[in-house]
Amino acid sequence: MQGGACVIAATFMCPTLQRFLVLPWLISTVAAEEKVDFNREIRPLLTKHCTACHGGVKEAGGVSFVSRDRAIAEGESGERPVVPGDPSKSDMLRRIRSQDPDEVMPKPKHGPPLSSAEAALVERWIAQGAEWTNHWAFEKPVDAPVSAVSDESWITSPLDRHVLGRLDREKLKPSPAAPPAEWLRRASLDLTGVPPTPDELASFVGEFQADPRAAKEKAADRLLASPRFGERWAAVWLDLARYSDTYGFEKDPHRNIWPYRDWVIRAFNEDMPYDRFTIEQLAGDLLPNASADQRLATAFHRNTQCNTEGGTDDEEFRVAAVLDRVATTWTAWQATTFGCVQCHSHPYDPIRHDEFYQFAAFFNNTLDCDQDDDFPRMKVAHDAAKRDEASTLESRIRSLRNQINDAGLPVAATTKDWAPFVPDSLKPSHGKLSAYPGGVIRSEGTLPMGNSHEVSAPAAPFTALKLDILPDSEDPKKWPERGSFATRFEVRLVDAAGASSPVAMKEVFVDRLDGPHEPGPGGNVGGFPKLESPRWAVFVPAAPVTPPPGSRLVVFLKQDAQTTGNQATPVRNFSIALTSNPAWSQLITDPARAELWQKLGEARAAYQPIPGVMVPVMVERPTHSPRETRVFARGNRLSKENPVEPGIPALFQAAGAAPVRNRLDMARWLVGKDNPLAARVLVNRLWAELFGTGIVRTLEDFGTSGEPPSHPGLLDHLALRQRDHHQWSIKKMLREIVLSSTYSQSHKASPELVARDPGNRLLARGPRVRLTAEMVRDQTLAASGLLSVKMFGPPVYPPQPAGVWNSVYNGDSWKESQGEDRYRRGIYTYSKRTSGFPGFLTFDAPSRDLCSARRITSNTPLQALVTLNDPAHIEAARALARRVSDQSPDLQARIAAAVLLATQREATPAMLQELAALHQEATAEYTKSPELAAKLGADPQSAALTLVANTILNLDSALNR
Amino acid sequence: MDPHIAARLRHAELEHHTRRHFLSQCGLGLGALWFTATTGRSWGGSGTLVKDPSQPLAPAAPGFAPKAKRVIYLHMAGAPSQHELFDFKPELLKLNGKECPKEFLEGRQFAFIQGVPKMLGPQFPFKQHGQSGAWVSDRLPHFTSVVDDVCFIKSMHTDQFNHGPAQLLVHTGSQNPGAPSIGAWATYGLGSENQNLPGFIVLTSGGKNPDAGKSVWGSGYLPSVYQGVQCRSEGEPVLYLNDPEGINRPLRRRSLDALDRINRRIAEETGDLETVTRIAQYEMAFRMQTHATDAFDLKLEPEAVHKMYGTQPGRESFANNCLLARRLAERGVRYIQLFHWGWDSHGAAASEALNKGFGDRCREVDQPMTALLKDLKQRGLLEDTLVIWGGEFGRTPMLENRGGGEMAFIGRDHNPGAFTVWMAGGGVKPGTTFGESDPIGYEAMTDKVSVHDLHATILQLLGFDHEMLTYPSQGVNQRLSNITKTGTKVVKGILA
Repeated sequence: MQGGACVIAATFMCPTLQRFLVLPWLISTVAAEEKVDFNREIRPLLTKHCTACHGGVKEAGGVSFVSRDRAIAEGESGERPVVPGDPSKSDMLRRIRSQDPDEVMPKPKHGPPLSSAEAALVERWIAQGAEWTNHWAFEKPVDAPVSAVSDESWITSPLDRHVLGRLDREKLKPSPAAPPAEWLRRASLDLTGVPPTPDELASFVGEFQADPRAAKEKAADRLLASPRFGERWAAVWLDLARYSDTYGFEKDPHRNIWPYRDWVIRAFNEDMPYDRFTIEQLAGDLLPNASADQRLATAFHRNTQCNTEGGTDDEEFRVAAVLDRVATTWTAWQATTFGCVQCHSHPYDPIRHDEFYQFAAFFNNTLDCDQDDDFPRMKVAHDAAKRDEASTLESRIRSLRNQINDAGLPVAATTKDWAPFVPDSLKPSHGKLSAYPGGVIRSEGTLPMGNSHEVSAPAAPFTALKLDILPDSEDPKKWPERGSFATRFEVRLVDAAGASSPVAMKEVFVDRLDGPHEPGPGGNVGGFPKLESPRWAVFVPAAPVTPPPGSRLVVFLKQDAQTTGNQATPVRNFSIALTSNPAWSQLITDPARAELWQKLGEARAAYQPIPGVMVPVMVERPTHSPRETRVFARGNRLSKENPVEPGIPALFQAAGAAPVRNRLDMARWLVGKDNPLAARVLVNRLWAELFGTGIVRTLEDFGTSGEPPSHPGLLDHLALRQRDHHQWSIKKMLREIVLSSTYSQSHKASPELVARDPGNRLLARGPRVRLTAEMVRDQTLAASGLLSVKMFGPPVYPPQPAGVWNSVYNGDSWKESQGEDRYRRGIYTYSKRTSGFPGFLTFDAPSRDLCSARRITSNTPLQALVTLNDPAHIEAARALARRVSDQSPDLQARIAAAVLLATQREATPAMLQELAALHQEATAEYTKSPELAAKLGADPQSAALTLVANTILNLDSALNR
Repeated sequence: MDPHIAARLRHAELEHHTRRHFLSQCGLGLGALWFTATTGRSWGGSGTLVKDPSQPLAPAAPGFAPKAKRVIYLHMAGAPSQHELFDFKPELLKLNGKECPKEFLEGRQFAFIQGVPKMLGPQFPFKQHGQSGAWVSDRLPHFTSVVDDVCFIKSMHTDQFNHGPAQLLVHTGSQNPGAPSIGAWATYGLGSENQNLPGFIVLTSGGKNPDAGKSVWGSGYLPSVYQGVQCRSEGEPVLYLNDPEGINRPLRRRSLDALDRINRRIAEETGDLETVTRIAQYEMAFRMQTHATDAFDLKLEPEAVHKMYGTQPGRESFANNCLLARRLAERGVRYIQLFHWGWDSHGAAASEALNKGFGDRCREVDQPMTALLKDLKQRGLLEDTLVIWGGEFGRTPMLENRGGGEMAFIGRDHNPGAFTVWMAGGGVKPGTTFGESDPIGYEAMTDKVSVHDLHATILQLLGFDHEMLTYPSQGVNQRLSNITKTGTKVVKGILA
């Protein structure tokens, strides 16, 4: 019946539409007696017709089709939807076939009924026992052998066997091999993003004539070794990384994160194996003795947006960033739509709601908290030789500082004699203070920036003083609250005569070091920007304090900290306690401690002068204080439920495998052999870049709601080949694909083939794919000879129209680059989230707000306006005209050279004639209007040649690879 | 040669010579036509719209007969105060200067107000106008003459209290970037009636883009072809619209002729259907150059029209954008989005304060938006053009006390609880007021309308059930009215 549906479509629809609708796996017909394949035949019906109401989100009537257990269980009606082996007792089938509009499923307002053939299929499936298998993508890949193919001589790479096997079944023949120029253009743009030079082309064509295979191997090796390779493939990865040079949201200020972009380019150029590439980006900071590069790699997940709009809640956007890390990880590595599990169990796939939060817990333990300065950051030294030194010093400073502070934790835990300090005098600068029994002090009223609390009582001796900062609510589900932070903390003794003397504090110990402000004996304690839980700080004076009789102890707290938009973070509830435990005095006078302080001072002194750029990276909280992760009811962070431990969904937990407990474990699991998805997702992405469409078209979704693979066997073969045979080497995998017979076919399609397979899903011809946004720019610059090959460094500002950049409250301007920076590759162009580079957006580049797994290629008049009229493209046309004029005095030769530079094709006589005629008529026009000509060239002929070059750069063959 | 390609090239040729409307009969739209002919509408089996990817902006039939064929959305970025324009509250006047009662503050999140602020009564006198007796303050003297064409919704509410997220919510149904805007949905659902202009045009004034940036007219998870095209009232209206210096129209025509002939040969040789589409797109670009230049040339309007709108061609202004909106509406542009920046009346600076800059903003919009309604009406366009006016949230009935202190000027903080939106034309009841806020204009009270309800209503007027116009992304059929929100309903009370 599926074959039948296809015939109708093929008869009536236009080919382009057909390409959208006819799915290649439907092309083969199903024999009536065959066993029903649940995944291929039944699951799509359930997803299309049933699970929207009877799935993970909604279980209308107590019926769900997310698993077999649920499908065969009784619904609220008492009927079982599916009774295996007995269609007549299966309520599902009765409802599907019902003529009663109140009974029939799906309900008429929800969608059309199943066809009788579909209903018969369901019946057959139930009769055969209603077997249920996991969705294909959640089963491990298997490299199944392909039976004999029709033409062994066609097989160049093992993958060709899968493609030809399928073509044999479809009774199609592969297309002839592409001419050398076609292959070289395709491979050069695919691998390096720039076209071959005329010299490269000429020598390749010569070598190809002698030995095509050797010539292609040599060319592939040259292209893979080119520094341009990393620039081309980094562009693919940066869409997934949602890389941008700005923070996003309202002010969208500048972010220094370009060293991460350079890291990605280097990683591709060095052919860093994908498992390492994964682990370093997701958890490089947690690797033992992490290098500067490994820490820098974690900027991957600091590409989340940061909201600096005045009056925003930093916690809201911290959480948004954490959840974005979850969704991005699942999209980029797993092509699984995990985001929907934030609010409810997965509608189609067996992933539970709380499993989302278990996974989120991997990312919910870093220090970043939506701060305007992107805290925490690492220094990437300008001098590459100093990078590891700066990074090591930074880690050492952090570790020493924690060690110095955490020495107080066991003393705090063993100090039992804290005596509450119960003030009899309360002097707030604003609002009202009240003391409660037990010493808790609470405030009321407006506490603006700069407010202070002064409390006092008769003094008693002490060795340490503890400040507890308390939340308004005692219910952890209501936390975190508005920040509560004392920037200044002072203690005074006032003697009986009224003379005041300060009590000098030597040190402070806090429950954990986790905020952007460094605590000190003079203050900076509490919770900032949010109060996540009760916090404490112990202040220790240089020597035990023994107050003279009749004196009073005065404690003064002031808060000057603010979150964006003058939002005060006042201490609202607190208590003070004193102890005479001598352990505190001993602790701070320990000589070993002085040594630690000295080492810290030295490390800071060595670190400070190293020049570098500060880049946001992942930094984990102290191990003794992980952040608690709770499930959000219906995805709402303000309505929290039970706490969860970090973990991966049970669906992916292999029997007997060690539990995955932290970010590093999780990264290793992703690229380990227990994960069925990562290798498939990677090879599918490589395939889509080379062939225009993935084996699974939905690069972002391998789940039940995505499309199944056109060649399941090929996908699994490539996945295992990539992971096991090539040990995750992307260059080796790409080499194998570009050298394959499949890739090397000519892209010319016969009318029959276009009608049969308009989208080339069966691969009976070579790919013909439009250039990416970056390639459109880079190729034009390369053809005209303007392209700069300068690599790395801060982003550049090639010309763009005035007035495109005008975001609110942001004084940054587009300072047009000068010199060679105007002609750098597209990957180095400044990427601003709220105002993307117009030429790129028009050619389908994403805004980089969120992880983007697929650029859907559009074909619009606005694209024509860019390549025809953008002054940058005109400048390139003029340069191209000059370049070919320098090569030959002959017009035809000049035109042929320009066509070759832009398309690597020999201009046909008809094309030459057409363009020469254009040149002739334009020359006549420019001769009549010399002032017009002057804008495009030195004389009318040159101006006309610029127009011809502009036309050539707009040829369809120039815009495709 | 493939018969499909042959047919398409023939049509392309016909078009080339006659410059006639490309889509009406040519082979490129065959798929969509087939669907419309067989099913009566271009919907797939699962409720997903089926688009011909080679003609993503071809006009398409909605789910049912629409009341509005196009939308002009006037967004007042920064959120104008309902208390000083339309939502008159005598009760609030009485409370002016008193300390805000505690129960109004508990459990509320403010952007800037701290502790206990003072209440602030309406700052300008109000009167009732027209047969409908609509309340309008003295800040909008022109607008009072068209209130009988307008439907006010005074019970709007949102759940976002910062500009960026709230603007995203108003325009995309989601507070985070990444979802398609209303205009993207409208052009996805309906295509455009004019293939020589972008189907979704954005015009900004006030010197700034909206706070949430271009995401508020983005295409989100829809194909990028549906994103809004920001046009400018200074310089080229569409980026790269003008022929480059040194290439005049005849030369461009001549070069496109050459390009066209070569590309046809490539299409025949490769069989690539995208090449055929590209040939058509280059022709469309050429026509767009003429049509858009013409559409954006305000000098073509007579003096009387300039007087009516208060326009000065060549200077970026809300007035110019209103007149452009009418010119674009006449030409069949589906969705016209205007942003006017500067309504964030906190009282922190003179430029935005209620007692200073707010009055300037009112003067900037009063005459042009009034003229737009009158002009659309006199041209018979108002009946199928939906005009929407509003901000991203409302403002507090309290005086702002940023940082807990006194402010230099008078202002109000952000208030997601209640705000006023007005609509006119395109199937809404003229001369009505729908819904009410509480007696101090703090919370929507009667007939509450959420942002999602507003979206469902806009789609209804355009001929779509908001639950049916969907697009698969993140594993679910997403929609403008946001699948994560429940209880969204069309505001039937405002439908004519």
